[in-house]
Amino acid sequence: MLKEIAKRRVVITGAGLVTPLGRNCGETFDKAAQGCSGIDYITAFDTAGLPCRIGGQVDDSWLEGHEGAWQRFPSRGLRLLRTAAREAVGSAGLAEIQRRERIGCAIGFHGDNPSVPDLLLLHRHFDGNALDMHRIAAEGTYPATNFLARKPDVAVSLMATSLDCGGPALSVTSACAAGSQAIGEAFRMIRNGSADVMVAGGGDSQLNFVGFIGFVLIKALSSKYREPQKASRPFDRKRNGFVMSEGAGIVVLEDHDHARARGARIMGEVLGYGASADAYRITDTHPKGLGACIAIRAALDDADLAPDDIQYINAHGTSTTQNDLTETLAVKEVFGTSAKQIPLSSNKSMIGHTIGGAGAIEAILTLVGMERSIMLPTINQEFRDPKCDLDYVPNEARLQAHERALSNSFGFGGQNACLCLGRYHG
Amino acid sequence: MDADSSRNDRVVITGTGLVCSLGTTIQEVWNAVISGRSGVRQIEGFNAQGFQCSVAAQVQGLDSESLGFEPRDSRIMDVHSLMLMKSVRDALSHAAIDNSAVPREKLALFAGMGMVDYRIDDLLPAVVKSGSAGKLFDYRSFYGEGYKEIHPLWPLSMLNNISFCQVAIALDIQGENTVFSPDADSGSCAVAEAMWSLQEGSAVAALAAGVSETISPFSLARAQLSGMLPSGAAPGDGNVRPFYNEQNGTVLGEGCGVLVMELHSAAEKRGVPPLAVLSGCGRSFGKEDGAGAPTVRAISAAMEKAISSAEIGPCDIDLIIAHADGMAAGDMNEIKALQQVFGDCGRDLPVLCSKAVLGQTRAAAPVIDLVLAVSMLREGTIPVILRADRSNSGVMDMPVRRILVNARSCEGQAVSLVLEEAGA
Repeated sequence: MLKEIAKRRVVITGAGLVTPLGRNCGETFDKAAQGCSGIDYITAFDTAGLPCRIGGQVDDSWLEGHEGAWQRFPSRGLRLLRTAAREAVGSAGLAEIQRRERIGCAIGFHGDNPSVPDLLLLHRHFDGNALDMHRIAAEGTYPATNFLARKPDVAVSLMATSLDCGGPALSVTSACAAGSQAIGEAFRMIRNGSADVMVAGGGDSQLNFVGFIGFVLIKALSSKYREPQKASRPFDRKRNGFVMSEGAGIVVLEDHDHARARGARIMGEVLGYGASADAYRITDTHPKGLGACIAIRAALDDADLAPDDIQYINAHGTSTTQNDLTETLAVKEVFGTSAKQIPLSSNKSMIGHTIGGAGAIEAILTLVGMERSIMLPTINQEFRDPKCDLDYVPNEARLQAHERALSNSFGFGGQNACLCLGRYHG
Repeated sequence: MDADSSRNDRVVITGTGLVCSLGTTIQEVWNAVISGRSGVRQIEGFNAQGFQCSVAAQVQGLDSESLGFEPRDSRIMDVHSLMLMKSVRDALSHAAIDNSAVPREKLALFAGMGMVDYRIDDLLPAVVKSGSAGKLFDYRSFYGEGYKEIHPLWPLSMLNNISFCQVAIALDIQGENTVFSPDADSGSCAVAEAMWSLQEGSAVAALAAGVSETISPFSLARAQLSGMLPSGAAPGDGNVRPFYNEQNGTVLGEGCGVLVMELHSAAEKRGVPPLAVLSGCGRSFGKEDGAGAPTVRAISAAMEKAISSAEIGPCDIDLIIAHADGMAAGDMNEIKALQQVFGDCGRDLPVLCSKAVLGQTRAAAPVIDLVLAVSMLREGTIPVILRADRSNSGVMDMPVRRILVNARSCEGQAVSLVLEEAGA
């Protein structure tokens, strides 16, 4: 039974993106291929006094408004997801599929943070022991929907309802690995026959004061930069933290035979998925990249591929001292002497870190790169770090055909995911 | 495929862990339910009198020190973290999995985690620091300096995956994982994904956990605003009356259930006897606009898929543990779905629901129900207090071979799982 299941191929028939670089897949990829940065000073909230004042904002005019049930949740994160989903399902022709109960959704999303004024209002109604609900209701100044705004499953519910999907619906909340894990779980559901089609991916907007200060307080954000566009510099010696960003990526995964039968355009294939836990420390990655190694090896095993079969790696590459060093060590550990011959680049150098969206966005850029035979660059490579000595595709995109790639995502707290993707050959 | 290989590919349960309002071990909880006790009490830890409902089924008797957490780590912990740690430890011990039994990178952990909320009082130092002469609060002062008074790990305590990662760190669990959130379907998804990771060979042993939210002013406010809380509820059971038209509302509960799962062949190789077999799983989605529950069609589809994937028919099910949380619309849809799927076979089929005595534990609920179902299969008895027809205490001797467990979310997801006795 299991071997039969493993033979089910899973392909990608649609993709949608909205990022600081562009309003869709094509625009985002083209800007990234030109080495453009989507990072600038934050205008979404007052950053005066904060050690980091930059981020990757998505142009508001690019986002879908809310209609129908979506209107109940005036969330920026949901708008990002809805925008990316519209492109993905449009390109896949999802509407034409008849058996809606065989279409599922898996979305990585973490809900919305309340604003500082809202938190302070709440604080005013809390005496250390009791929350005065009567006064909150009577004053009417605290938006009651705030109590529901952080519910992450609202995203998958709205997605499944609006797209008329009756299959499994999963809400994934694995921090920075959520987008990858959502795609990985969706891949598994098609492969094991639980669904024929899955709408999967992730998105987040943490560009608000409460979301932002969390990372300020743990000193994870870049704070030494002269130009915002040069702040995100994964693997460069002068990297000093990541740049917070917002965005979403959605793919439509489909059983190969199902896609062929309806004549869908196939843009690539998911070959394998691996996940692991660092089991090391909450705020630190494993110093030797142990968890990353386990996830990468698991993805290769799942795809039934050897390390030498991989021709490109889309790195997690956050631009923090820890991640970039341990990811480099992990790649060397898994790929051995071949590691330096495998191009590896970080999209976060241009887009920043979109948290729950990152894994999905980067998987999509990897797929488009394979289709177009272009490896996207890691920009801001100016000062070589002797400990980061792989081929990071520095500063300029590379025209090079590649057939099989990995996309890494390593989540805060130590959750890791790796997707193995392939160019489609029928 | 021959019978032996089919048997070896079956996913079996070899260990369980359970913490809820009736106790912090399975034995404690089992003894309590067969004694007819309820875990619903007046809320402790904060004053809940301003809410529509001031009772809940809270967990008692867990503290970070006794579980061996460092003070630095416990700073970002709440009840949900402690419940998960205790239950996972107990389940691993029950399954005789120590550091040498399974390669750590092949030990998977999937979890359904409830909502993780802000702790409002943690903002106090920053608010005090941000006061200025003549003004209660100065935003510029807060943005410039005040926020630095917030504990650096405060934001981490609100991430859904942090408790999960703390457990992985403490117990050196390095294998495959995913965190789902926050409703009852997420606990079932954890069980389903654990099943698949074993069957695909990604894991040698897999833990599936369901963890409720911590009951707090935030969680009560969210439940009240969602129209979930009954008014006039009192300590004891009887506040949640599933399938009764005249009542609409549920009582919140805290709890965590954990299953250790392995392929039959792996358990046999380790010499560990299977407690039960997880043989079927079905998931579906369907929500009508504005409804707080899956549609009848979605609940039916999940049950039908679970039963067919277990390669049995509806009449082979001996017992149902319904989601049945006391919310009128959802319970009505569930009962219609049960009627549709089971037809005449359902006429004498016992239907249990644990939420009347354990509260609505959301992500934890289906896993807690599965842990209780394992005990029922093994003991050959049903705690009468769990019967949907509201009998009292004691047990009903009734050997059961197959139990169907339902879970649903207010967002439209429906999941069903089939559990069989180890020898079925």
